Amino acid sequence: MKQLANPQPITRSRRPRKRQTSLSEVLIMSAETLWSNKLRTSLTMLGVVIGISSVITITSVGQGVQKSTELQIQALGTNVMMVSAGAARTGGISQGAGSASTLTWEDAQAIAKQVPAAKAVSAFLQRGSIQVVRGNTNISTILLGTDLNYPIMKNIHPQEGLFFNQGDLDAGRPVAFLGSKVRDELFNPDEPTIGTDLRIRGKRYTVVGVAESKGTAGGQDLDDIIYIPLTNMSAQIVGNNALTGVAINGFWLEASDADQLNSAQFQVTNILRLRHGIHPSAVDDFRIINLVDIITTFSSVMGSLTLMVGAIAGISLIVGGIGIANIMLVSVMERTREIGIRKAVGATSRDILSQFLTESIVISTVGGIIGVGLGIGFAFTAATIFKFPFIVPLWSIGAGLSLSFVVGILAGGIPARNAAKLDPITALHSE
Amino acid sequence: MANMISMEGITKTYHLGELDVPVLKEVDLSIEDGEYVAIMGASGSGKSTLMNIIGCLDRSTSGLYILDGRNLTTLDDDGLADIRNQYIGFVFQQFNLLPRLTALENVMLPMIYADVPRSQRLKSATDALEKIGLGDRLKNRPSQLSGGQQQRVAIARALVNHPALVLADEPTGALDSQTSREIMNLLTELNQQGTTIALVTHDATVAAQTKRIIHMQDGVIVEAVN
Repeated sequence: MKQLANPQPITRSRRPRKRQTSLSEVLIMSAETLWSNKLRTSLTMLGVVIGISSVITITSVGQGVQKSTELQIQALGTNVMMVSAGAARTGGISQGAGSASTLTWEDAQAIAKQVPAAKAVSAFLQRGSIQVVRGNTNISTILLGTDLNYPIMKNIHPQEGLFFNQGDLDAGRPVAFLGSKVRDELFNPDEPTIGTDLRIRGKRYTVVGVAESKGTAGGQDLDDIIYIPLTNMSAQIVGNNALTGVAINGFWLEASDADQLNSAQFQVTNILRLRHGIHPSAVDDFRIINLVDIITTFSSVMGSLTLMVGAIAGISLIVGGIGIANIMLVSVMERTREIGIRKAVGATSRDILSQFLTESIVISTVGGIIGVGLGIGFAFTAATIFKFPFIVPLWSIGAGLSLSFVVGILAGGIPARNAAKLDPITALHSE
Repeated sequence: MANMISMEGITKTYHLGELDVPVLKEVDLSIEDGEYVAIMGASGSGKSTLMNIIGCLDRSTSGLYILDGRNLTTLDDDGLADIRNQYIGFVFQQFNLLPRLTALENVMLPMIYADVPRSQRLKSATDALEKIGLGDRLKNRPSQLSGGQQQRVAIARALVNHPALVLADEPTGALDSQTSREIMNLLTELNQQGTTIALVTHDATVAAQTKRIIHMQDGVIVEAVN
């Protein structure tokens, strides 16, 4: 037996101590415990990670899609509606939509004159999958015959040359104004375009201009298009199939302001019924599509959908919380002797309670932080792939983190209370 | 010498349904400061219950208990935890170290609950382990230590808050005879340095090394040998 280094009597300190061990001590103890059991800790955390990351991803994607539809409304203008040709009828029997065009350019012009609420009207006649050839290059694109109001209403600006003019429209000249994608496919970047000839459906057209890029909207590439005069489209490409005048697919109407849109719709309906001889009780042979209505509806549906899916994701958070509660209960049972030892050396019930509660909160909050990070990552990836604005609302991060904190408290509460209530003697003698 | 422990008329009764089972019957006990006492008795004699009450792990049903001048009879659970932390050091038969913590961290544990700053905890715990000859084992976990070494760590832990009283419950019960002797020598040496020690044992050779032996039987002290 070696001589003890310090033979003089030990003097005892009898200072009163605080009743609560400091938070940083408890945090360090909890972190050490959790770290020493990495696999269990991370598996327990996983539930919260999945829950929070789903909530963040879903709210972000929902907000992004809503934002993207709002941007589409702004791009369209909030005072615009479309009137499209409906089903033609013979003797009151519908022949089905598209069997023959029921709207004519003359209808559109009459509306432009007779509807006081209309600021501008632009008729269009459109065909898809039109073959366009230049030299050895051969592409398929959309061909849109229209008038001079179209580029104004749709905010189409030339980056080279000009849109076709009134003379081109009146005479039905074969001139083409290209979308930027069509230009890129048919021409090298430095090649001049103006005055060049193309063959559209085998007929020769001269390029008068190229539009600035408009990007995509609703999954449609707005640059993959060629604009030609409506008159030429009708005469050369489609063939006139209306009973009277120039057949069109429809026309856009811009009201003088957004408030006038409803009255414009009413006036258009009346004038078209009058012109087409449709009496009440008969079915209209045209359709008025108020895009703002559609998009607003879509947007609100999207909003409630986001809420619903978010709530379902919230359920997975509850499941995660139950997972934590479960593991904490097991942990308290496994560590009964540890609790006994800690109490024997002076831990109060509050110390034990706060230790286990802290462990639970650390698991869920760290899970929450990881979940927020992952959620932002997923949302960014989705926004990049599906091309909608990347928005992470700050409130969703705040809600996610506080939710995970609350889950930790709720899940850890009962196990921690069980631990704190343990009798030290029983706990010390447990195996 | 001043009384470290004064107990008067301590009783403990367990209620098993309708049945009252008295475990301690009017025990009077005094232990003076600096004493070295062994409590002996057969299983069921009440010695463990008395030990638990002395160690503030349990409460008496009635009677007066004064430890180092403080009346503990009326303390609540937090108060008892406080006494355990500041006045009492435990040494158990099964060592009762936390398996995930190193020797050093185990010794630091009571100081965490005494709110000792971390730097001072490290210093005091290192000192305590060096004193009992484990200065080279600070970072070892209990599973990497022999039984004797684990019991030394437990003794260091018991001493680190400078308790008024060290309570040892069968401290050599899980050790071979050679290691038992070493542990008993260590306790004897601590007592010579002024630490009051009470130990519970059924081993007469262990008890013989103390200065006073208290025999218990059926919940009463039958014989106190000086």
